[in-house]
Amino acid sequence: MSTLYIAIALFLLLTLVVGLWRILRGPTAADRMLAAQLFGTTAVSCLLLLAQALEQPPLRDVALVFALLAVVTAVAFVRRAWTAEQ
Amino acid sequence: MVTSITFSAVSVRTILFAILWWVVTEAAINSWYIGVPVVVFATWVSLVLLPSFSLSLYGILRFMPFFLWHSLRGGVDVAWRALHPRLAISPDMVDYHLRLPAGLPRVFMINTVSLLPGTLSAEMDENYLHLHVLDKTNDFSKDLAIIEQRVADLFALNLSDY
Amino acid sequence: MSVIDIITAILLIAGAVFFLAGTVGLLRFPDIYTRLHALTKADNVGLGLIIAGLTLQAESLAVVGKLLLIWWLVLLAGASVAHLIAVVAQQRGIKPWKR
Repeated sequence: MSTLYIAIALFLLLTLVVGLWRILRGPTAADRMLAAQLFGTTAVSCLLLLAQALEQPPLRDVALVFALLAVVTAVAFVRRAWTAEQ
Repeated sequence: MVTSITFSAVSVRTILFAILWWVVTEAAINSWYIGVPVVVFATWVSLVLLPSFSLSLYGILRFMPFFLWHSLRGGVDVAWRALHPRLAISPDMVDYHLRLPAGLPRVFMINTVSLLPGTLSAEMDENYLHLHVLDKTNDFSKDLAIIEQRVADLFALNLSDY
Repeated sequence: MSVIDIITAILLIAGAVFFLAGTVGLLRFPDIYTRLHALTKADNVGLGLIIAGLTLQAESLAVVGKLLLIWWLVLLAGASVAHLIAVVAQQRGIKPWKR
């Protein structure tokens, strides 16, 4: 099973690399933020898969913190960064 | 028979925070030295910040399978449109008259709508929810009325009162 | 491989497919609103399926609870963020793309 977990985690990393294109292209800051939001969800999935594959339960707590931070980042972006630019 | 849980009760909130602590610490026994004061503190803070509200047990039981099934449908729907060679979308903005009362039920509805197939809550004024829809040929008012009814059931509300 | 392992494998692979679809949507959809659809739906279902697969392998009930808590947090974040971004995008006069 470990091999499967790692394989899926690697696949998710690959989709993340493809998603980088949206960060490069934009066109607005919000589009880039969306891509970053997607990376957050992908990272949570990868961490949970690795926690299982490597038998490292603390990685689940890292995933939990990522999930919490995703909200803070996005709200900070909408309220501060996006209104300040342009 | 108990049919609804009232979240004003100190006991209900204490139990929920205790369960949360138990989950977050993955049931580590030693952690309760810190856990007990934290649960007490969290309960106190929540009583100050979050006004009491009631959920219907029957509503919860009906809402969960409804939500799981329709979010799966929503995922399949958007995945199919994204992978479709000609990009099967014809987006538009629509309005929906909300009957749910302001506050938690409305926030809950707005969030649920964004997670279910084809709809995205874009703005809320007085009593109208402005939505962005992925495919304007669908009949959204029917779907939205069902969601609204389910949310009303969840909060033990009767929509015809509003 | 036991039956449970096979179910886990199916759920994980299905989850990965939704992540791929979410990324494709993010790249192909024409404007910010349609991309928000891809983000809030495909990814949440993707993560939901991966978490469903992992709960079958969890060593205790508390771990199941933690996995579900993570899913719930991500759902809440996704829905609230989508709403916030859509509101501000409208205020800034970004017009929805039409066919």
